[in-house]
Amino acid sequence: MHFNFITIIARQEWTSIFRSKIPLALFTVLLLVSLLATFTGWQYVRKFNHQQKTAHQEVLDQWMNQPNRHPHRVAHYGYMVFREKSPLSFFDFGLDSYVGNAVFLEAHRQNTINMSEAGFSNGMLRFGELSMAMVLQLLVPLFIIFIGFQTVAGLKQNGVLKIMLCQRASFLDILLGKTAGITGVVWILFLPLLLLCLMAGNLLIAGGINADALTRIVLLTILYALYFLIITMLVVTVSALSKSSKNALMTLVLIWMLFFIVIPKTAQTLGSSLHTAPDKIAFEQAIEADVSKQGDSHDPDDPHFSQLKAATLRKYGVDSIAALPVNYGALVMQEGETISSGIFNKHFDNLIGIYKSQNTVSSIHALIDPYLAIRNLSMNLSGTDFDSFTAFQKQTEKYRFERTKKLNEIHLTRIKYQNDSKQKVSAENWQKQPDFTFQPVPVSRNLSDASLSLAALLLWVAAGFGALTYVSSKRAYQL
Amino acid sequence: MLEAINLTKRYGSHTALNSLNLKIQPGEIFALLGQNGAGKTTTINLFLGFTEPTEGTALINGISVAGHPQEIKKYLAYIPETVMLYPNLTGLENLKYFSSLAGFDYSEKELGELLATAGLQSKAFGQRLAGYSKGMRQKVGIAIAVAKKAKVLLLDEPTSGLDPKASNEFSRIIRSLAGNGTAILMATHDIFRAKEVASRIGIMKEGNLQSVIEAASISANELESLYLKTV
Repeated sequence: MHFNFITIIARQEWTSIFRSKIPLALFTVLLLVSLLATFTGWQYVRKFNHQQKTAHQEVLDQWMNQPNRHPHRVAHYGYMVFREKSPLSFFDFGLDSYVGNAVFLEAHRQNTINMSEAGFSNGMLRFGELSMAMVLQLLVPLFIIFIGFQTVAGLKQNGVLKIMLCQRASFLDILLGKTAGITGVVWILFLPLLLLCLMAGNLLIAGGINADALTRIVLLTILYALYFLIITMLVVTVSALSKSSKNALMTLVLIWMLFFIVIPKTAQTLGSSLHTAPDKIAFEQAIEADVSKQGDSHDPDDPHFSQLKAATLRKYGVDSIAALPVNYGALVMQEGETISSGIFNKHFDNLIGIYKSQNTVSSIHALIDPYLAIRNLSMNLSGTDFDSFTAFQKQTEKYRFERTKKLNEIHLTRIKYQNDSKQKVSAENWQKQPDFTFQPVPVSRNLSDASLSLAALLLWVAAGFGALTYVSSKRAYQL
Repeated sequence: MLEAINLTKRYGSHTALNSLNLKIQPGEIFALLGQNGAGKTTTINLFLGFTEPTEGTALINGISVAGHPQEIKKYLAYIPETVMLYPNLTGLENLKYFSSLAGFDYSEKELGELLATAGLQSKAFGQRLAGYSKGMRQKVGIAIAVAKKAKVLLLDEPTSGLDPKASNEFSRIIRSLAGNGTAILMATHDIFRAKEVASRIGIMKEGNLQSVIEAASISANELESLYLKTV
């Protein structure tokens, strides 16, 4: 391998591409689409966050303006919490449009997350939204195919490859030089654009770029650079294996369809059939069944609550509920809350486990499809992945439980058992409660969650070099 | 120097080249005549190292081509039937590119001299190859070969499709290269061109070298009769 020859060939490839008008015309189209996607993405996130902020303020005002009332009524009054979109969600919408960003929290009930974009749109969303990530993941590979399909096959067809091989550069030098040249063109055209859009979008949405955002932006740029390198190596390899430019183009278009349509759909279908998840009704029915098995607080003969009653009376050394220094009704409610929350968390963890298994099937497919690898990594680093959604759901349930518990404690200590429902406490009691703020998943956990996809992407880089080396060692592919 | 020792190439049951024994000395031009499929291009590909022999050895300067395909590149240059090169580069740029791939870093003046040696008019140096005629592209191909200072030159139908004037000019340059000590193997259909430039002529049929003739010992008409009788 001669670095000097690789550089010469790369420079020539670069010159050839830039002298042709077609690549520049294609790039102009992609540039316009990218800018449009970035602009609409930024507008959407900005509008969404603004609406959410307004809604949040309204909910908070309503909560704060409740009059003095019974704490259990406050617990049932409920509270709405929101997940602000991640600053990079304008770049990669990921699952955001399908999973929702708001949930109504109330006592005794674990409501699911609502207000997804898909739930409020016509069916067109099913066909996908235009995001910059989509342009980079699906359309840039097409650009690479169009500028690179004849890079070796064309030389073979017109006999130039033979003359090149008769100089002192080896076939490997030629293939690596071609790869370097095309990758260089793609990097110089798309990476600054990517970096600029990520920085500008983040700055406009979040008002600044903190260390976490900067890390995500740098990682996204590096990972997309590797993805473009992989696609280029694939294009050069197929071109080197093909007898003619036409064959190379047909093979590459077929691979594009496999990578971007067939394998992702197959992986998704395979994941859901290998790991079947219950539907919403079955999920809720299973929770209800477990809760009634555990104990019914309204049934005077329920063994669990009979035991609770006996243990409480024993603890306070009294023989009747009326003689307790605390409100037994609140105690029962808190016990019911603990039971239902525990059962919900168990079922929810099981459900998440199933979804994660489905996602693992998709991640394993990244070993045969680099698009799946970059898709997962891009979503994770943009904070629009499945883990960000489950983190929100878990944080809201924890918040709901703590908030209800505090109201039950007020009920327990400030409301007398006798004539319970007629009593009220000061509104200050719940006005002091902390508000919910979603804690985004840190970048380190994002990366660790996507470790399989990251490993797959790195393996693809190694496989690309392996393929080029293998093809270059076969004389049959030189003619 | 080029040497073939029992050089054989088979593709399954088909024998493309059968036990070729041949030695071409420095300064000698050897023309291989034969119909399509006679084994001329196979012979050239074996010397270029693009295909491995089934049996026998191809040697360039005493080095086995199959054993050292990269090392023998130092000694050889190749001109195909149609020199395409890069149409969006100029003649000068093409020559600079290909000579740099051979490890030479010529100045623009030297590149111009090489193109002039190959017979290209100076006004064409800066024009893109897309606008060149076939003869002009062949001249750039010659310049690439000359720039490499190769000891061995392999030509595959180099005058095919050239007009008589361009063919004559081509022959003159080839003879001049041989005069400088280059061993030249030329596969051709053109009996009269072979007679004009070569010192020895081999006639091939179905992978076999049927006969080798000293070019000086035979007239063009006699060569044509012999050729037609052989093939």
